[in-house]
Amino acid sequence: MATPPPSKRQKREEYRRKIQSEHGTSVKMPQKKFFRQRAHANPFSDHQLDYPLSPAHMDWSLHYPAFVNPNPSATNLAGARKLVKDVEVVDIGCGFGGLMVGLAPLLPETLMVGEYIVSRHLHISEYKNAKGRTTGMEIRTQVLEYLHSRIQALRTQQQNLKQKASNPQDTAEASTQSKDTNEPAAAAASALEDNKNTENNDDEPALTTIMPGNYENITAIRSNTMKFLPNFFGRHQLSKIFICFPDPHFKARKHKARIISESLNAEYAYVLRPSGLLYTITDVEEYHHWILRHFHFQSDDEAEAQSTGQTVSSHAPGIKDLWERVSDAELEADPCVRVMKFETEESKKVSRNNGNKYVAVFRRKADPEWPA
Amino acid sequence: MAQFQHPFQCLRYVARQPAGLSDVFIGSAGKNIYVYAAASGQRLDVWPQNVDTSAEKTDAASTTQDQCPPEKRRKISPGSEEQKNGESKQALSPTWSNIPIVVTSSDGKYVVAVTAEDKSVRVFSLGEDSQMQQLSSRVLPKRPSALVLTHDDQTIVCADKFGDAYSFPLIPSGEYIKDHAQVKPYQPAATSLTVHTKRNLESLEQQLRQAELSKRAEEKPALNFEHQAILGHVSLLTDLISVTLPAGSPSSRARSYILTADRDEHIRVSRGVPQAHVIEQYCLGHTSFISKLCVPSWAPQKLISGGGDNFLLLWNWIEGQALQTVPLADASQTSEVSVHDIWDISLIPSAGATEPVRVILVGLEGYVSVVDQKYVSASNGENRSSQLLCYTLDNESLNLQDTIQLSGNVLDVVGIDSRGLILVSVDTVREPDSTHSWKSAPSSPQTLLESFRVNLGPDSLKWVPVEDSMAVKINAEGTASFPTILEEKLKREFDDALYSLGNLRKKKGEE
Repeated sequence: MATPPPSKRQKREEYRRKIQSEHGTSVKMPQKKFFRQRAHANPFSDHQLDYPLSPAHMDWSLHYPAFVNPNPSATNLAGARKLVKDVEVVDIGCGFGGLMVGLAPLLPETLMVGEYIVSRHLHISEYKNAKGRTTGMEIRTQVLEYLHSRIQALRTQQQNLKQKASNPQDTAEASTQSKDTNEPAAAAASALEDNKNTENNDDEPALTTIMPGNYENITAIRSNTMKFLPNFFGRHQLSKIFICFPDPHFKARKHKARIISESLNAEYAYVLRPSGLLYTITDVEEYHHWILRHFHFQSDDEAEAQSTGQTVSSHAPGIKDLWERVSDAELEADPCVRVMKFETEESKKVSRNNGNKYVAVFRRKADPEWPA
Repeated sequence: MAQFQHPFQCLRYVARQPAGLSDVFIGSAGKNIYVYAAASGQRLDVWPQNVDTSAEKTDAASTTQDQCPPEKRRKISPGSEEQKNGESKQALSPTWSNIPIVVTSSDGKYVVAVTAEDKSVRVFSLGEDSQMQQLSSRVLPKRPSALVLTHDDQTIVCADKFGDAYSFPLIPSGEYIKDHAQVKPYQPAATSLTVHTKRNLESLEQQLRQAELSKRAEEKPALNFEHQAILGHVSLLTDLISVTLPAGSPSSRARSYILTADRDEHIRVSRGVPQAHVIEQYCLGHTSFISKLCVPSWAPQKLISGGGDNFLLLWNWIEGQALQTVPLADASQTSEVSVHDIWDISLIPSAGATEPVRVILVGLEGYVSVVDQKYVSASNGENRSSQLLCYTLDNESLNLQDTIQLSGNVLDVVGIDSRGLILVSVDTVREPDSTHSWKSAPSSPQTLLESFRVNLGPDSLKWVPVEDSMAVKINAEGTASFPTILEEKLKREFDDALYSLGNLRKKKGEE
């Protein structure tokens, strides 16, 4: 009897084993189709997550080998090597990491981390929910595996390119590349071009230019931000938080699982430094109004006209005194907004489907005065 | 037939102001709150009044020794009360089985209690005649797990099991008009722009059709009283305390803080209402759920926290800095210990001493399953739930002084300053050190309260049992009773009412 063709799952496993074995040497980008993951996770359940006891117990050294403090005796409370600088940018719900890959050359000296609990929502409408089967550790860590492979491949590519560029016998192509590195903006722009060309392709081709930062400044962790953000980042540590195309949790009774809420906004304010920015983008208009409402930049009445979501029963007074909304003119000039709007996987998907994109960015104000 | 009596779940001593009124002692047991004269231990009031039949029997039995008949307790005519509350004490048939939280205002005029199953926060006035009269009952969306009154006694702050904390006035201003959520026509938030797959598009169409057909008129259950959501954790809130730090310099004002603890090992330090959205600090160091926070009244910069791990942590909470880890059990010990409660007790100096006695008492909740039963006897000398650990607090450390052995599990402790003693509420139903195995028959006499006095040695302090006339009288009178033989399910409910910490523990390997 002929053996049946390998199942999808088998193929996925084989592929991922191969990737694992080539870790650190492969320059080939991992293919997303082998890393599919169910769309939703319950943020309220006790997933088997690893999280540090406190920010001073987090081992970042494996995530950013290029930024490890050269002094081996500089260790944190968990005994791990310290970095020369702190992580400053977080992408909450990073999915397949498009935002970070886009941002990495723009902020080459800034350490960024993508956080995800699951990949991105599959646009499930209100009644039909994805009944993805959850089977143990493996499936849940697929996105993380993909991300690590992707970042590793990017770093390896860059190293190879650098070696080529430093080799004088190399082709003329290499010399143009080294010129590019002197102009980070140009390099970033050309990367944009690259990405545009592959807009409809799930899997990106290898980069041929040296990018500022060499992708040494990005990484990904699996965590549940809603619960454990303060375990990873200390007070006022971050300069930017991105929340791109969050799971819309369409059902009203699932609204409590949304990543934007007044109580979570207080936590974002705790980890963001004054004048730090919180970026949001969504393709669901109702969620956009929800976001504005939960930052108190829209009253319930205003929102009622447009939205159908349930009203917030009552507000913490003054969450607004921690935030101000950034003007559209300022957003125009912010390259991060462009990356968020056009370079994340989800934004590309929304563009393909002619969806709308709603952007709202908030600046963290200084803590208010104590009541007199 | 011998019957068990409900142990006291919550004890409060009310030093009443203005002076002239005699102090009272309040305890919640089962579904009732009892008020006693602190001097004599005479029962002055029971709330609610129509207790179940078995309890009434004991009531009737006890009146023979009681000077005042139960009728005397009711002074306010039910009619006037009915108008006020829309429900009378008499008509009230308790829908709850226990009263886990009782708090009193600092002037002793108000009592706030949480009734468990109906999730209600009830405010009572404690009249000059020591009668409790319910002023208001407010139903919360989830059962409150902790409740405090702010420093000025004006505001109730409570935390619930969904992770939200609310504040609302002690006395409702009465101006609140229920926000009748306008019934809006249902409209799906998803559109054809956000939904793409064939199946999802189909279901969206279906929803739109459905929306056309039925203008759904569901009113969402909202809190129908004046309140504010002040903060939230995405976790179960286990404790909430309010701390006021005195002004550091003449120019600055006293600052108030709210400290919240959750099941996911976080202690959050927020500013007090109305700035509770400003998080000042996190105290991170626990490795299991946190069950109790205690800021000693005499050392407001320090925090002692305990929970599901085998240690207490002493904090400089304003800096988020752990000062000391106090082991509670041997590392080798396999049984799981949880901190039931932490009490800060300050007693006036006894004869010959100048310094007040200030101690931290810690009660534990041991989980000994039936399988591990043999362990109970084996754990001789280890910390157990029938013991109270007594620590003194130095600048930077907690020092174990003495361990008090009780006749049963410790449920609550209250210090009576004027008498220099502590009263400990003891579980009379379950075997000592077990939260689940019931005694086959009640011990006789049933000791609901035990009292201890401190004995100061040259370099240590010891607690010695004393006889307190109030405790003796309360013990003799007892509380409502219930049969010794109950269905397993009912037993389980009784157990969970007093010992629920085990449910907070995260199950290993669970998704």
